[in-house]
Amino acid sequence: MLLFVLMSQVLSAPTLSIYPVVNRALTQNSVSRNGLSAIFRMRLRQWQDGSPITVFVLHDSNPLHKQFCKQVLNVFPHQMRRSWNKLVFSGTGQAPVTVASKEEMVDKIASTPGAIGYLSDEDIPENIKILIIK
Amino acid sequence: MRHTSTLNRFFKLHSYGIVLVLCCLFTNAQAFESDWLPQNLQIHGFLSQGFIHTSDNNFFGKTDDSISTDFRELGINASYRILPELQIAMQVVWRDAGKTDDSNVRIDYGVASYTLYSSELSLLTLRGGRVPTPLGLYNDTRDVASTRPNILLPQSIYFDVNRNLALSADGGYIYGEHRTDYGDFSLNFGVVVPRMDDPDFKNTLVGSDPGKMEGDISWVLRTGYEWENGLAKLAITYADFNGDYKPSAGAFFQAGSWRFNPLIFSAQYNAEKWSLTGEYALRRAQLRNFGAIPDTEFTGQSFYIQGTYRLTSSLEALVRYDELIWDMDDRKGLKIAQAAPGIANHSRFAQDWTFGLRYEILPALNFSAEYHRINGTGWLSNLENPQGTTQHWDMYTIMMSYDF
Repeated sequence: MLLFVLMSQVLSAPTLSIYPVVNRALTQNSVSRNGLSAIFRMRLRQWQDGSPITVFVLHDSNPLHKQFCKQVLNVFPHQMRRSWNKLVFSGTGQAPVTVASKEEMVDKIASTPGAIGYLSDEDIPENIKILIIK
Repeated sequence: MRHTSTLNRFFKLHSYGIVLVLCCLFTNAQAFESDWLPQNLQIHGFLSQGFIHTSDNNFFGKTDDSISTDFRELGINASYRILPELQIAMQVVWRDAGKTDDSNVRIDYGVASYTLYSSELSLLTLRGGRVPTPLGLYNDTRDVASTRPNILLPQSIYFDVNRNLALSADGGYIYGEHRTDYGDFSLNFGVVVPRMDDPDFKNTLVGSDPGKMEGDISWVLRTGYEWENGLAKLAITYADFNGDYKPSAGAFFQAGSWRFNPLIFSAQYNAEKWSLTGEYALRRAQLRNFGAIPDTEFTGQSFYIQGTYRLTSSLEALVRYDELIWDMDDRKGLKIAQAAPGIANHSRFAQDWTFGLRYEILPALNFSAEYHRINGTGWLSNLENPQGTTQHWDMYTIMMSYDF
């Protein structure tokens, strides 16, 4: 049984796709790669229409977080943590909001205007949309 | 004034208790963040306690043939994003570092940031208030143990004896950032009045002469480049710091001026398991019109090279060589020792080999250990070593640190 679970994880890992997702009410449908990276690094705090961006992330050690950092943002999770700490402890910025699970991620993004996070495609419900990377 | 001193006494008496209470309160910091507070208000903090022992000389307390616990940092900050373009933030810190810090509660920064322009490609922000000074790679967050490579920063560039002077200053900055496919470019320029309240700073210049040092108009410029979200970082910093001596009645020295110009080149490469960091600084210092001190100008040199390696996901090792020379025209301090017999030649340089380990017990809770083999006493505090110093010495430090 355990072997089966392990094997299925190994087999399914490469096919699992992960996307940046946003609150459905957001008028903006796409973002540049530089822009997406600036959003998750907490350097870009406003959408194109001027409304505030709220960033949600999972814990640093969460596999989905690691995957999103490496595959989509092209950065190591500890490097992200370091750059948030730099902002937080120099008074020049804020850290993203950490959520405990992907269920909470779904709830927060659905209920917070201007919210952004990430989910694997199988977990994306109807009331949340994928932000297309240009 | 009375209010502040009561607060300070409270902190001194109850420091360990406060640390414990904060630890308990914020162990589940994430929950604290999202359940109690609106999402545009954040509270973060840090605390660390060091233990230091030296074979000779004192660093942060009585460490020579003894173990000092006088190295403690405790800070809490709040940031509030009032509008998408406007954020205010303040950090209050209580710090003890032997005789080099007066152990008072102080405001490390109180910054208002207003974003003039923001797009996916560029950012332009104005910052004002008491702002962390952008010097090199580590200065802006130097008190927070988790943002340092291990326990102590390389002292040749990040002198802890003059920590308040370096950390933050009152004034205004303009910050610009431009993101391209070839990396991010940034520029930070500020006009400030530096803080001159480090106990050792005035003492080094004029001893116990009655009077005080006051900051004068100064400026700082840092340009930076980051490739691939910080995989590689480059920076150049230049600053013009100015201060004036205000002698009181009966002072021996006259109203002189102090000027300091550091030029710092910084480079860092961060791979998944290892990182390599180097900084090189030229530091020009000038003293004018102190009367009994002849007008002086000299240029010093500082550099370090540092490597870290992640042995496991929770254990990181560090090796660093750090070198300080106060006066490039008197590298071994022989000329000054001959001219002023009270000054030891080895107080004019320091060569420090550092070996460190950091173990992550829990996320954000770290245990660190560090060993230093040092030749020279160039960055030691005179206040802590009135009995004289030994040229070759060892330092052992351990530290527990936590942040949320």
